[in-house]
Amino acid sequence: MKRLSTRLSALAAALLLAGCASVSPDGLRSDVAQQLQGRLPDEAALPATDAQAQQLAQTQINAWLQQPVDADTAVRIALLNNPGLQVQLAQLGVADAQRVQAITLPNPSLSLGWFRNGHEREVERKLSFGLVDLLTLPWRSRWQGWQMEQATLEAAQQTLLLAADTRRAWLNAVAAEQALAANTRMHDAAALGGELARRMAVVGNFSKLEQARELAQQQQAAAQLARASLAAEQAREQLAQRMGLWGQQLTFTLPQALPPLPKAASDLRSGDDAEATALRERLDLGALRRNLEVSTDRQGWAALGAVFGDIGLTYSRNTSTERDSGHQERTRGWELDVPLPLFDWGSAASSMARHQVQANAAQLRESAIRARSEARSSWRAYRTAWDLAHQQQTEVLPLAQLVQEETIYRYNGMFISVWQLLAQARSTTQAVLTATEAQRDFWLAETDLQLALSGTSPPPAGASARAARNPAAPAAPQNEPQGH
Amino acid sequence: MQRRQFFSGAASAVAAAAVSPVAMAALPEPVIQTSADTAAPLAPPNGRPYQPVVTLNGWTLPWRMNAGVKEFHLVAEAVVREVAPGFFVNMWGYNGQSPGPTIEVVEGDRVRIFVTNRLPEATTVHWHGQRLPNGMDGVGGLNQPHIPPGKTFVYEFEARRPGTFMYHPHSDEMVQMAMGMMGLWITHPKGRHPQIAEVARDYAFLLSAYAVEPGAMTPRVAEMTDFNIWTFNSRAFPAITPLVAGLGERVRIRVGNLTMTNHPIHIHGHEFEVTGTDGGPVPRSARWPEVTTDVAVGQMRQIELIADEPGDWAFHCHKSHHTMGAMGHDVPTMIGVDHKGLVGKIQKIVPDYMLMGERGMGDMGAMQMPLPDNTFPMMTGKGPFGNIEMGGMFTTFKVRKGLAAQDYRDPGWYAQPPGTAANEWQGAPLDAQAPRQTLPGTAPGAPSVHKPATGSGHANH
Repeated sequence: MKRLSTRLSALAAALLLAGCASVSPDGLRSDVAQQLQGRLPDEAALPATDAQAQQLAQTQINAWLQQPVDADTAVRIALLNNPGLQVQLAQLGVADAQRVQAITLPNPSLSLGWFRNGHEREVERKLSFGLVDLLTLPWRSRWQGWQMEQATLEAAQQTLLLAADTRRAWLNAVAAEQALAANTRMHDAAALGGELARRMAVVGNFSKLEQARELAQQQQAAAQLARASLAAEQAREQLAQRMGLWGQQLTFTLPQALPPLPKAASDLRSGDDAEATALRERLDLGALRRNLEVSTDRQGWAALGAVFGDIGLTYSRNTSTERDSGHQERTRGWELDVPLPLFDWGSAASSMARHQVQANAAQLRESAIRARSEARSSWRAYRTAWDLAHQQQTEVLPLAQLVQEETIYRYNGMFISVWQLLAQARSTTQAVLTATEAQRDFWLAETDLQLALSGTSPPPAGASARAARNPAAPAAPQNEPQGH
Repeated sequence: MQRRQFFSGAASAVAAAAVSPVAMAALPEPVIQTSADTAAPLAPPNGRPYQPVVTLNGWTLPWRMNAGVKEFHLVAEAVVREVAPGFFVNMWGYNGQSPGPTIEVVEGDRVRIFVTNRLPEATTVHWHGQRLPNGMDGVGGLNQPHIPPGKTFVYEFEARRPGTFMYHPHSDEMVQMAMGMMGLWITHPKGRHPQIAEVARDYAFLLSAYAVEPGAMTPRVAEMTDFNIWTFNSRAFPAITPLVAGLGERVRIRVGNLTMTNHPIHIHGHEFEVTGTDGGPVPRSARWPEVTTDVAVGQMRQIELIADEPGDWAFHCHKSHHTMGAMGHDVPTMIGVDHKGLVGKIQKIVPDYMLMGERGMGDMGAMQMPLPDNTFPMMTGKGPFGNIEMGGMFTTFKVRKGLAAQDYRDPGWYAQPPGTAANEWQGAPLDAQAPRQTLPGTAPGAPSVHKPATGSGHANH
C-alpha cells in the first residue's frame, strides 16, 4: 500500500511537472539573446514581440538612419528590422508552443458503456490513460527542453550569420562608394584629357590620331565609371535588403571611408588561441554537443518506449443492476493493458538509438575538426589580408604618391605633357582603388574570423571577397551575386 | 659664384691626391682638381716660355721636368662633375674633373705622359690631331694593348707642330666619351710663327653633350641622338664662365667638338676669322670673316677677333635647342590652345598643376617650380633686363675698356650708354587690331586669296 502511495506521489509530481510546462512569453527570444551575449555589437537587440516595443524600435531605427550608418549600426538595424530573422524567431516561438503541447499529458479517456440483457442492466465506466506517456514524462520533458535549446542555438547562429552578412554588405557598400569616387576622379582626368585634345585639334596642334587616342581614353573611363556606379548601387541595395529597409528609409548615407586598418601587427588578434577559442565558443559545436547528450539520454528510454509503447492503465467502475430486484453490484478495478513483447523486444529501437548516439558523436568530432581548421584558415586569411592591406597602405600608396609628385616635377620641367600627367593621375587613383579593396578584404576576413571563432562556419574561403570583387574592373563578370 | 672663386688659384684648387709617393715609385704624383671653376692661366715655371690659355671652367695640368722631358700624369677615373650649381653628373674623367686638365706644351717639347687607369674597364688615350710615332697614337688593339684597370702606361713623343688638339680614349670609345672622357691639348709655337698671331687672351674649351634622365645622375651611354645636357667643357649656362676681353684686344678662342653632332658657334657684335683647325694654322690667304663657324664632330676650330665693341655679347651654339637645358623632346605644342575652364578642373585632380606652354615656352625662364632632384632646368639665367631664357651651350663675351692684362674676373653687366638700348615706342599705338592667327582669307576683312589659273582646290594635285 505504501509502495502504491509512493508511486502515486511520483505520478502526481510528473503530472504537476507536465501541468506546469508553459509557453515562453517572448518565444524564447531572451534565450537567444543570452546565447548571443558578447557576440554582437553593444546595444544590439532582437526585435521585440509587443507592438509598443516594435514602435520604439522603428523610431530608433529612423533616428539611426539620420546619421551616416556605421557597420555596428547596420547590424543593429538588421537585427531589429530584417524580416527573415523575424520569420526565424517567430518559428522558434511556434516550436516552443509545440514543445509545451508535446509534454502536456494526454488527456485521460473516459469510456462509458451501458449494456442490458434480459435481467441485468450494466453501466461501465472506464477512466484510462497511457501509462508510458506518464512514466516517460521526465525523459520527454528533458528531450523537449533540449530540443528547444537546440532550436535556440540554431536561431542564435542564424542571427550571427545575418549580422556577419550585414557587416559584409556594409563593407562592400562603403568600398563600392569609395571605388565610385575613385572612378569618378579617373573619369574626370580622362575627360579633361579628351577635352584638351579636342581643343588641341581645333587649333591644329594635334592630329586626328592623337586626338582619337585621348578620346578613346575618355570613353574607356566613362564605361568604367558606369560599371562602378552600378556596382555601388547594387552593393547598397544588398545592404538595404539586409537591414530590411524600403521607401523613405533608403535615403540613408554611409561613411565616406572604411574603418582604418589596425596600425601594427601587434594590434591584430593572435592566432595562437584560435582553435581553442573556436572549440569553446562556437554555437554550432555547442548545439552538436547538446545533441549528443540528448541522444545518449534518450537511449535509456528508447527501448522501453518501443516495447511498452502502449501500456494502458484503466480504472473501471462497473455497475450491474438486476432489472427485477433492482439489486446493484458494483465492480471496481484496474486494468493494465500490456503488449506482449513476443516479437519486438525493442532491440531495433535501442540499436537505432545507439547508432544515433554514434552518429552524433562522429558528427561532433567532424564538426570540431572543421571548426579547428576553419579557425586556423580564417586566422591565416585574416593575417594575410592585413599584410596585403598594410603593404598597400605603407608601401604601395606612398610609392604611387611619390610617382605622382615626380611626374608633376617632370611636367614642371616640360619633360612630359599634361596628358601624361593626367594619365599618371588616373593610375595613382587606380592605386588608391587597389588599396581600398585590400582594406575592404581585410575587414571581410576579420568578419569571417569572428564568425569562425565564436559563431559558426563562415562561408567558403574567399567567397565574400569574390562576391565583392570590384565589378567596375573591365574583366570581372557582372553576374556574380553580391554579398550572401 | 664664379666671380668669387675665379682666382681661388691653382694652389688651393689643385690638391695633391693621397697616393703614396713610394707606391707610385718614380711616377710623377698626380695632381687632382676638386673645383669646376675656371682656373687662372698656368704660367710655365720652366721649359720654353709661352702665353698660356684659359680653359673655360677647367685648368691646366702641371708637369715636372725630367732630364729635359716634360712629364705629365693623367689619371683616368670616375668623377662627379658639377655641371651647374646644384646639378651633379657622374662622369668618367681625368684627375678629378671632366673634361680632364688641359695639357700645354711648346712646339718641339719632348713629352712623356703617364696614364693610370682607375676606371673599372680598360682604356687608352688617343692624342687627337698630333703627329707622333704610330705606337703612341693610342688606338687600343691597333697601336697598343688596352690599359687594364689599375695599370699605368707611358706615352712619349715630341710635340711636333703647334696647334689646338684634344685627347680622348680610343678603347670602348663610345661609352667613355659619353661619360665625359676628354681633354684639350695646346701646342704653343716656339717663338714667333708667321701664321700665328700674338693674342692678349686665349680661351679654350670642348663641346660635349650628355643624356641625363631628369632626376638621375649618370648619363645614358647608349644614347646616340637625344641628348639633353649641352655643355662647354661639361658646364651649362648660366654656370659657364664668361669670356672677358679688354677693349681692342686680340682674342683667340679654341673650340673642339666631341659631341655626336655639329655645332654652329656664333658670336654677337663682332666678326672673326678661323685661324686654325686641328690640322694647324690656316694660311692667311685662306681666312674669311665669319660670325658663325660650324664645328663638325671631332673637329677643332681656332677663331680670332679684335674685341672692339664694348658690351655683353652672346656667344653660343646656334642650334637653338643646344642652348636649352633638359627638356622633353616629344612634348606636344600647346601654343594657342584654349584652356578656359580646364585649369581649375585639372588642379582638382592634380593640385600642383600649372598651365604652361599656352603662349610658348618663354614663361619657363621665369617659373620657379619644383623639378626632379638634380635636374638642370630647361632655361634659366637672369640678365640685367630679365630672364635670358637660355641654358646649355651659351655664355657671354664681355668687352670692357681698361681691363688689366691678367684680369679675367667677370666685370658684371654692361652699363649701356643712355639712349643706346632698344626701348618701348612712346608714340601713338598701332591703330588696327593685331593680325589674327587664322587661315588665309578667313580673317574678317582680309582679302581672299586667289590662286592664278588653277582650278578648284586639290582637284589638280
